[in-house]
Amino acid sequence: MQDRPTASELLASIADLLEQELLAATQGPLQHAARVAGSLCRILEREARLGAAQEAREIEVLAGVLGEPAGGRDALTLSETLVHRLDTGGDAALERRAWPALVEILRGKLAIAKPGHDAWDFTAELE
Amino acid sequence: MNPFEQVREGLAAFLAKEWGATVEVENLSIASAGARRRNVLFDALRDGERIPLVATIIPNAAVQIMPIEVEASHLRFAEAAGMPAPHVHAVCEDASFVGGPFFVTTRVAGETIPRQVLRLLEKDPALGPRLARQCGEALARLHAADPARAHPRIALAGSDPIEATLRAVEALVRELLQPSPAFTLALRALERERPPPPARLAVVHGDFRNGNLIVGPDGLRAALDWEICHVGDPMEDLGWLCQRMWRFRNDALEVGGFGARADLAAGYEAAGGRFEPVRFHWWKTMSTLRWGLGLAGQAKAHLDGSVPSIVMAASGRRVAELEWDVLMLLRRSFAP
Repeated sequence: MQDRPTASELLASIADLLEQELLAATQGPLQHAARVAGSLCRILEREARLGAAQEAREIEVLAGVLGEPAGGRDALTLSETLVHRLDTGGDAALERRAWPALVEILRGKLAIAKPGHDAWDFTAELE
Repeated sequence: MNPFEQVREGLAAFLAKEWGATVEVENLSIASAGARRRNVLFDALRDGERIPLVATIIPNAAVQIMPIEVEASHLRFAEAAGMPAPHVHAVCEDASFVGGPFFVTTRVAGETIPRQVLRLLEKDPALGPRLARQCGEALARLHAADPARAHPRIALAGSDPIEATLRAVEALVRELLQPSPAFTLALRALERERPPPPARLAVVHGDFRNGNLIVGPDGLRAALDWEICHVGDPMEDLGWLCQRMWRFRNDALEVGGFGARADLAAGYEAAGGRFEPVRFHWWKTMSTLRWGLGLAGQAKAHLDGSVPSIVMAASGRRVAELEWDVLMLLRRSFAP
């Protein structure tokens, strides 16, 4: 175990530095880069807190779609397998299972990458 | 001589030659400096007349998507068609004047940065609907023009741009650094629900969106950035304009965060276009998938060292947003 501050706490501090002091002290493309770097630190801060649980759930959900045991599997291999099976085509039942599963996985990913993005679900545009 | 001074003298020398007059260049400023192009604002003084201009310079000819004279010809084509586009004064393929090929256009006053465009709307609530309608009218005029009159080197998508786009996107999905089940699923649905080839092909802008428009209090003044202009399905431009990423958080206003689809469609039809809702939805969904792949491509360009940049790196963490958007747009295909 590392000592406090935790990774998440340190990343929040780096984000504060980038978004406040450094942003104010720069201009033009460098200012934009500082803003982007600050936003990336916020993402990594959330990833440090939520990432492990998100990935564990992703593995469970993907394994469920594929009808395989989740134990000992990783998200990358399961994603590759799912892509391969979707690519082979023609499995309507698999596609119908995959859609809500991927929506759930993306809610978890967006809670880290862009909280709130999933609040808009395009209902008004599908009328 | 510093590079700035070199550009100033190069522009003056080129325009003097082009116009057969004495020309001075003043008030030079760099509006944008990307890897692929630089936009330089300046005033040309000719016989006491002050002419506000922009030079679009390709700093490295190796990275240009299309030759500069082809891009300039698209602006001329659009202007002749009655679409607001900056007037082209001159084209220069000789890299010796300013360090790369360039063209010179009229400088159109107005806002281009999306958040500034949306701020104009806060001052005038009638501007958004008007702007959406004007976008429809402008695109209808462009699409009505005969593609046979475009530059012979304009990019073609074959007789069926739907098929060509599906194949290009399929290749990009396969080349992703990480597998994307969401994009794979989306591609399957887009393949299955593909519309027939369009009744007629048109010259399409290819990147007509909030961010590439010059907007004033009166509305649309010009469409910029014609480098991926090509012959394709007219609904492609409308779908691209309406994807969520160009709304800049004004999600409920489908057209660039400033207007409603009904206003866009009304403008398009009033100017002689035919708005096709099913085809539009297909292209909007396809545009969303494409931009997701574009962002993944930016992250890849950072990681493989071809364009190392924190901004490009950050794009990789935005891909999930587009995966979400594309799955929501296809909800009816999988969750009736």
